[in-house]
Amino acid sequence: MPQHIKRLIITFAVVIGLFLGFRYLLIPKSFGEYGHYRGEALAENAAKPLHYGGTASCTRCHQDIIDEIHNGHHAGLACEGCHGPSYNHAIYADSARNVALPDSLKLERNTTREYCATCHEKNAARMKILFDTVNKSVIKVIEEKKHNYIPDKETGKILKCIDCHNPHDP
Amino acid sequence: MRKTDIPSSRRKFLKTGFIVAGGIVASGILKPFNAVVYASREPKGEGPWYGIGIDIEKCIGCGRCARSCKKENNVPEEPFFFRSWVEQYTIKNDGSVTVESPNGGIDGFKQSVPDDQIFKSFFVPKMCNHCHKSPCVQVCPVGATFDSPDGVVLVDENYCIGCKYCVQACPYGCRYLDPERKVVDKCTLCYHRLKKGLNPACFETCPTKARIYGNLRDKNDPLVEFIRNHTCMVLKPNLNTGSKLFYNALSMEVR
Repeated sequence: MPQHIKRLIITFAVVIGLFLGFRYLLIPKSFGEYGHYRGEALAENAAKPLHYGGTASCTRCHQDIIDEIHNGHHAGLACEGCHGPSYNHAIYADSARNVALPDSLKLERNTTREYCATCHEKNAARMKILFDTVNKSVIKVIEEKKHNYIPDKETGKILKCIDCHNPHDP
Repeated sequence: MRKTDIPSSRRKFLKTGFIVAGGIVASGILKPFNAVVYASREPKGEGPWYGIGIDIEKCIGCGRCARSCKKENNVPEEPFFFRSWVEQYTIKNDGSVTVESPNGGIDGFKQSVPDDQIFKSFFVPKMCNHCHKSPCVQVCPVGATFDSPDGVVLVDENYCIGCKYCVQACPYGCRYLDPERKVVDKCTLCYHRLKKGLNPACFETCPTKARIYGNLRDKNDPLVEFIRNHTCMVLKPNLNTGSKLFYNALSMEVR
């Protein structure tokens, strides 16, 4: 074989060998297990931490409030919808009963008028569901800036919704 | 003979051009894109193949879905990063359409158009459509985003290089670049919750049960029932993305 062909073959072999070597090192082990992606990514996505525990995690300690809700107009609402994520709260309370919760684990108790109004404020787009008696999903609407928007005679504070309505059984 | 006026190469070019253009038009007429077909024709495989249904008639625009999504998935608090958000569409009497989404709807909506100018108004919750033929998956240069065997489009955050091609490719605007980790983030249909048998956060907190998710392989699933019993539509069906987010009562004005 002529010298220049030999050199060419060796050069090609080295380049292809390097390419295959780098390819082997750079492509992750689980790539292509299910498709054109890292198979391990499925487990990594599934292992992310929870924040919302679901209403089931509230029942262990707060059964009385859950009973109250289930008999009222707010039946069917998730506790965490208003009170925020409770997974860590419930895990802590379960492991350390009768110990005061640290402030960081206390749940949201937003008592402002605006918070109630996120659902109950009058809005043209909300009117359809209001009169939908077939599905029994009627919600009450108010105009937050008008409904009992009266300053208290002594303190001057505006009445809060929860001064008259129990949010668990409005 | 005037025929020789046109050089043969130009004649050939025009001929090919007309054939290609005509072919595209004809193929569009022959096989129109279908909206609900992906609910009925699932790919082969085992286990659940997830789809989503949203009932626009039931949404009251409280924004609980957007709130809970941010908290469950550590989405940055700044107003322009969302995995899930709500828009209010208002069709006015003069024919113009306004779309509002103040802070993604998290703090609720204030009606900005007076009642007497409104022809129709409604809320549209938006999230990833978990398309079967996702444009975002197709453009990823490194295979860091993919359609999982469960039919959920996920991002491999350890492999993403943050090039943002997928952010541009998504026709529904459902992706963003996480400003801290510098990788793309999007709705995972709370994959970590699904795998533990829990509902995704936005489904958990929706007060009017306007959202439903389910397994499209099971023909008795509540979601399949929902699609069967309602006039469902997907967003931008003309793009043929194979979207698996089915809206009841979706107006054509929604983009």
